Amino acid sequence: MERNIDKQVERAVMVLALIALFSFLLSFFYLPLFKILSYAFQKNGEIGDESVFSVFWSTVTQSSNIRFLSFSFNQALISTIICLVFGLPVSYFFAQYKFKGKDLVINLLTVPFVLPPIVVLLGFIITYGENGWLNSVWKTVFQTDRSLFKIFGTVEGIIAAHVFYNLSVIIRLMIPAWMNLDYEQVEVSKTLGVKNFTIFRKIVFPQLINFIVSAALLVFIYCFNSFAIVLYLGEVKYQTLEVRIYKLIKNSLKFTEGSSLAIIQLLINTLIIIIYLFFENKTRQMARGKEKGIKPKPIKLKNTPLKEKISFIFLSLITLFVMLFSFSPMIAVIIESFIPYTKGISPLWGYLTLLSSEYMAILGNSPFRMFINTIIFSFSATIITLFFSLLIVLILRIRYNKLRNYKQSIVENFISYLIILPMATSSITLALGLFLKYRTTEVYLNYVWILIILSHVLISIPFATRSILAAYNRIDVEMLNVASTLGASRFFIFKKIEFPLIGKSLIVGGIFSFAISLGEFGATNFLVRGSFGTLSIAIYKLIISQTIQLPATMATILIILTVLSFLIIQKLGDIELKV
Amino acid sequence: MTKLEIKDLSMRYQRKYILDNLCLEVESGELVVILGESGCGKTSLLKVIAGILEHETGRIFVDGVDISNLSPQKRNIGYVPQGQILFPHMKVKDNVIFGLKAKKLPREQIKEKLEWIVNLTEIKDLLDRYPHEISGGQKQRVALARSMVTNPKILLLDEPLSSIDASGREALALTIRRIQKETETTTLYVTHNQEEARLIGDRVAIMYDGKVQQIGKIIEVDRKPLNYLTAKIMGSLNVFPVSFYSINKENDNFVIVDTTIGQMKIPLSDTQRRKKITGIKIPPTEIKISTIEKKLSEEKESVIKKGIIKSVIEIGKSLFRIVVEIQGENIEYLKVDTENKELVNYLKTNQNVTLEIASEKVVLL
Repeated sequence: MERNIDKQVERAVMVLALIALFSFLLSFFYLPLFKILSYAFQKNGEIGDESVFSVFWSTVTQSSNIRFLSFSFNQALISTIICLVFGLPVSYFFAQYKFKGKDLVINLLTVPFVLPPIVVLLGFIITYGENGWLNSVWKTVFQTDRSLFKIFGTVEGIIAAHVFYNLSVIIRLMIPAWMNLDYEQVEVSKTLGVKNFTIFRKIVFPQLINFIVSAALLVFIYCFNSFAIVLYLGEVKYQTLEVRIYKLIKNSLKFTEGSSLAIIQLLINTLIIIIYLFFENKTRQMARGKEKGIKPKPIKLKNTPLKEKISFIFLSLITLFVMLFSFSPMIAVIIESFIPYTKGISPLWGYLTLLSSEYMAILGNSPFRMFINTIIFSFSATIITLFFSLLIVLILRIRYNKLRNYKQSIVENFISYLIILPMATSSITLALGLFLKYRTTEVYLNYVWILIILSHVLISIPFATRSILAAYNRIDVEMLNVASTLGASRFFIFKKIEFPLIGKSLIVGGIFSFAISLGEFGATNFLVRGSFGTLSIAIYKLIISQTIQLPATMATILIILTVLSFLIIQKLGDIELKV
Repeated sequence: MTKLEIKDLSMRYQRKYILDNLCLEVESGELVVILGESGCGKTSLLKVIAGILEHETGRIFVDGVDISNLSPQKRNIGYVPQGQILFPHMKVKDNVIFGLKAKKLPREQIKEKLEWIVNLTEIKDLLDRYPHEISGGQKQRVALARSMVTNPKILLLDEPLSSIDASGREALALTIRRIQKETETTTLYVTHNQEEARLIGDRVAIMYDGKVQQIGKIIEVDRKPLNYLTAKIMGSLNVFPVSFYSINKENDNFVIVDTTIGQMKIPLSDTQRRKKITGIKIPPTEIKISTIEKKLSEEKESVIKKGIIKSVIEIGKSLFRIVVEIQGENIEYLKVDTENKELVNYLKTNQNVTLEIASEKVVLL
């Protein structure tokens, strides 16, 4: 009887949590997604004379759309391969050797991934652009007018930017893969007289492949859905589906075509995410309980065999190159923010202008107001993200109940599927859904900031939830059992055991969503109206107007905030780069 | 002082019965060891008693009061799970007083109880440390203190010595026994290790197939195991399963049993005639060993086995154990205990020997 009352209270809390979560997802994700579907299959979202699929079919088979689809695919594939070619040796280098400041270098190498795409773009333009640092040095040294490297309107430019952005993902995910390698197997094989290449093929590679595939799929999906970089560098010629959808809707008002492409993109993304989750799950299984991996050794060149020396030199050269490639755009942005854009002005002009009301005409608001918008949006998005992520964790506490009576939880399975779809939805599709659903309502017309914040929430939730869930799953259920036999109530157990144990991951998830929201560009750019722009929007508008010092200043602010967030995350725990 | 009664307890997991109409009675202040092989449902039984797992049918009574439908919080049963599970983010002191705080006891009372349990479990030096800073044995003492501090009516211990190094095991077992005796707490102690059962238990309950198959004082169960499985779980030496047996209709004073060490003709008593034969047990001291191929005693019916010596070790003062490999369909080992030092000096590893067992000394199970 008494046990039944406990159960009823628990069930009531659960139902409330479920209602809150579902109403949020329904209103701001599933219904908007349904709106995209209805636009994709019916002309202008209403039932017309044409058959359901004809509009959709004619859009997706249009030659230009097929071209953009194949471009999205090809550039993502090439970028992923290049990331692997450089990322694998660098990750091996960090797993193999230990040296002072190694953690810091690894952390700094990861920074590009957490940087806002618009900042990456700016850094890229400053370093490798037509009038960028690299080309200026080239032109001066060789007395030529021709640039060494063209990034505008070229595939190379887009791929280089993607490699810069995603190399850190490979490095970051592959270091633990190398560290997890069961090195005893290698040693046993050596004693059995097996040749090194065979050992690699038969012992090492099978242990690495799941990590490689899951990291590669992650990079692929990021590149496939790239927006800001391709929007600017690709010009009209090269567009990813993400850019194409944006242009169709915002520039040409072709809602049906844009929606059809969004559906195609969503299907492809979902497929890749499912494959990714399959491989990622395998890596988790492999990583469990192994402590026999490579032990990093100090760098020592004296008395080492020539073969090892050559391998060390090769690895360190690649690592140095990658470090230079990764750090220079960030450093360039910071330096550029202090270089007067014209003679006679102060190096601090950018920072002073940030506090002024100049550039109102271009930006739609003062730079300072945009900075404030950025902070307020990020802060609000973080709070809402954490609230919903915690709700998801609370619902998944059913796992605990499942263990009590050995029954499969349907709710748990349902929720894990429910979360996959937002994970697979690109920021432009999220924004498109919100736009189509609410464009005629008061929310879009007067309170668009709400939609901007909610789009950030939807983008952040998968990251925050995974970070919290990873910590939650590490809690031994037996610990909760003991607590209950000691007389602790459900609330007491949550307050004293579960909450403190997931506390760090909550902060990590929170800061990570703050960092994501801080530099979010795609959805914000899609939805933004009037004076509700953020620093990312300001940077984009100013790059188009060919000004560098002010956007570099804004980007510097974003770099500092992101790096700070990232360092706090690193202090507290590990970052979940994975979607 | 509390009595625990379990009546017809059943629980299924994926259609298979983990507990199948299990009955058990534990007297006040008694420590009963539940002995069984891995996966026999020992842990599930403890969890059901603690209220962590739900059972389907049956009742659990503590001092005659049915607690079957109470939540774990209300049962007042101390549960120490396997693997020294402490709250990792709390110091030892906070771990110990967790239950007292959960029950919202006044600060003075918490202090008093803490002092009492700290002295009893000898963990005073550990109070300000975190779980990761103490050893396995120390963790187990803290876990014990944490569950005992709330004065539970029943204490449930799940393989408390399983991950403790051999050197610390006995000391910890004796500590547990001392605390249990001093507090007179009715205790169920689960293990698969017979040595632990012998060391600590008042009585032992042998469990398999979801039931307590035999319960009694260790010496009784040792002497009169219910069947082959019970003897095997108790760790009796020279126990072999019987795959087939036949009793001659004309002369039913003997039974012919097929075992993994071969066929044997064993005398049959009246009581044995009435029950199913599941195995045989050959007391190690009742085996005669010889290096020559001949029957050692002429007058009695006996079983002769040939084998190879695999090891000879001294197990006590002037007591030696000889392990002999018997070659049949499977390789089996017979352990022979002897005090004959001269013979032992003469034996060598891999030496062929003949074993003789008087038929009436073979125990039918």
